[in-house]
Amino acid sequence: METAYAQALWKMVERGMEPKKAVHALHEQLTNTGRASLMRRILRAFERIAERELRKGQSTLTVAREHDERHAKTAVKEVLAEFEVESKDLKTLIDDTIIGGWRLEGNGRLIDASYKTQLLELYKRATSAV
Amino acid sequence: MNTSAVEKIIKEIEQIAPKHEGHSVGTVTAVGDGVVAIDGLSKAVMSEIILFEESNGKKLAESLEGGGKLYGLVLNLEEDGVRATILGDTSRVSEGMTVKSTGEVLSVPSGDELLGRVVDALGEPVDGKGPFKNPTMMQVEREAYGVIDRKGVSVPLQTGIKSIDAMIPIGRGQRELIIGDRGTGKTTVAIDTIINQRNEPAETRPICIYVAIGQKESKTARIVEQLRQENALEYTIIVDAPASAPAALQFLAPFSGVAIGEYFMDRGRDVLIVYDDLSKQAVAYRELSLLLRRPPGREAYPGDIFYLHSRLLERAARLSDEKGGGSITALPIIETQEGDVSGYIPTNVISITDGQIFLITDLFNKGIRPAIDVGISVSRVGSSAQTKGMKGVAGGLKLELAQFRELEAFMQFASDLDKETADRIESGRRMVEVLKQKNGQPIPVEKQVATLYAANNKFFLDVPVGKVVEAEKLFSEFLDGQYAKLLAGIRKTGQLSDDAKKEIAKAMDEFRLAHKELFSA
Repeated sequence: METAYAQALWKMVERGMEPKKAVHALHEQLTNTGRASLMRRILRAFERIAERELRKGQSTLTVAREHDERHAKTAVKEVLAEFEVESKDLKTLIDDTIIGGWRLEGNGRLIDASYKTQLLELYKRATSAV
Repeated sequence: MNTSAVEKIIKEIEQIAPKHEGHSVGTVTAVGDGVVAIDGLSKAVMSEIILFEESNGKKLAESLEGGGKLYGLVLNLEEDGVRATILGDTSRVSEGMTVKSTGEVLSVPSGDELLGRVVDALGEPVDGKGPFKNPTMMQVEREAYGVIDRKGVSVPLQTGIKSIDAMIPIGRGQRELIIGDRGTGKTTVAIDTIINQRNEPAETRPICIYVAIGQKESKTARIVEQLRQENALEYTIIVDAPASAPAALQFLAPFSGVAIGEYFMDRGRDVLIVYDDLSKQAVAYRELSLLLRRPPGREAYPGDIFYLHSRLLERAARLSDEKGGGSITALPIIETQEGDVSGYIPTNVISITDGQIFLITDLFNKGIRPAIDVGISVSRVGSSAQTKGMKGVAGGLKLELAQFRELEAFMQFASDLDKETADRIESGRRMVEVLKQKNGQPIPVEKQVATLYAANNKFFLDVPVGKVVEAEKLFSEFLDGQYAKLLAGIRKTGQLSDDAKKEIAKAMDEFRLAHKELFSA
């Protein structure tokens, strides 16, 4: 139920209502129906929606080392159109656990070209063939 | 090798690296009780397999230590995400974990190499005999064959149990429910049927699949051992989803079993599948549905509980000759509480199946094994699959036993009975004894026909009731030893000719002379 209220709140603000006004309107409605205690849970659900919505427009390129970034950006150039992201909006993350290569994640899609994933696949194929 | 050479090699490998395909992904937002809520995966389809990315943020060595790939099964498609069940260890999934869509629906391996093996609900071997080398993958959820692809039931499936083969015959492609309280011998009937298939010629012998749902591992182990000892394991596949397995696997096991069976049916083979039992599957599905927040209905079962069983049992069929003529015969088992067959799940399954075998606690406690109540047991299509020989000796048997049961109840109140009634009671008591059978000892159909012919001709009327079982056993052995040709003839033709009847009468006389001590009544 709290998710539905949080969604309603999100849509009210999205359609141009002032945030403060929207929250007060919702609070008033909940108080009148004896559901004011739901407010905290609505907040958590609202945070989840916000996180998801913010994530929608974000794409992250993960590389193992800083100096891999340029090479990775060249490699992902072609697929960026699929992700509907401009190269300059790409957020870069350094994660040495991927060993090498790159990982591009955003808009509910993932392209994993990391060495770690390839090595894991190789290991699984080799061990399952025994 | 110097550093520049290493760098060159890395560069070369990078240039020839394969093209990477993108996956639709989501993020785990909540996990608990074997069910995950996933944000994203907008392109997921129902029953799709998803892969949990456990290696994210972990070093390679740590990732290698993990116990294989962890999959999930999409069961709810919602507005902003999906809900899925984890097909493995729930503790390996954590909030924030990335989940990859695979674009594949759940499939299980099938093929001849599965014969004699024990697999789990996902078709993975659990008997320690190693992986399958070249299996064919079969979709777990598949639409049942339509009307045009089917034909009527006409070939018998011999259970080796006299009372069933005579009065509640089962045909290949039929769905016959075995129903009764706990401890009434439901599994025994099913296992005896599997064991009896060894009497069939190898080319027409059905492939047997035993699906254990929510059973104790010790019980399944005992069944596997029994089948091995009886040389029945070589044509049997065991699908095991024990009580300790997650509810999702218990719910999936029957579908996996029938998917394995369909491989053989599609190739023109006959299959016998036992679901032991569907009550436990319904409970597992209820658990899963409640965790998936589907609206609960009667007894908290979800609204589609009937569809769960109907779509499973509809996959049992006898295919037309154009489709290869294969068949799947299903023997679902349902456990009742205190003999209440009017419960929600029992009535559902009764209405789906083509007949029921009722096992009654009272008969079991009286020492009548199998404890089948022939009065309320029925086979709606099996009689058309019964051999002429069996039909000839079994006709009227059900009525005679039903009349006996009525008279037996009446006998408790009446002290003086007319001769006809008394004779009928005596005959009925002996017939009940003749139909008794120990577990694990299925009887070939030709011997059943000969024994029932003898019983119909008052052969056991002079034998004291307490000795009928012994006399029947000895007579059966006598036929085996002295009249093997006669039995082979009945088996081959499926008929009881006049000559065969004369031979049985001769055998009866010879046996009577040889075993005078039994005929002292």
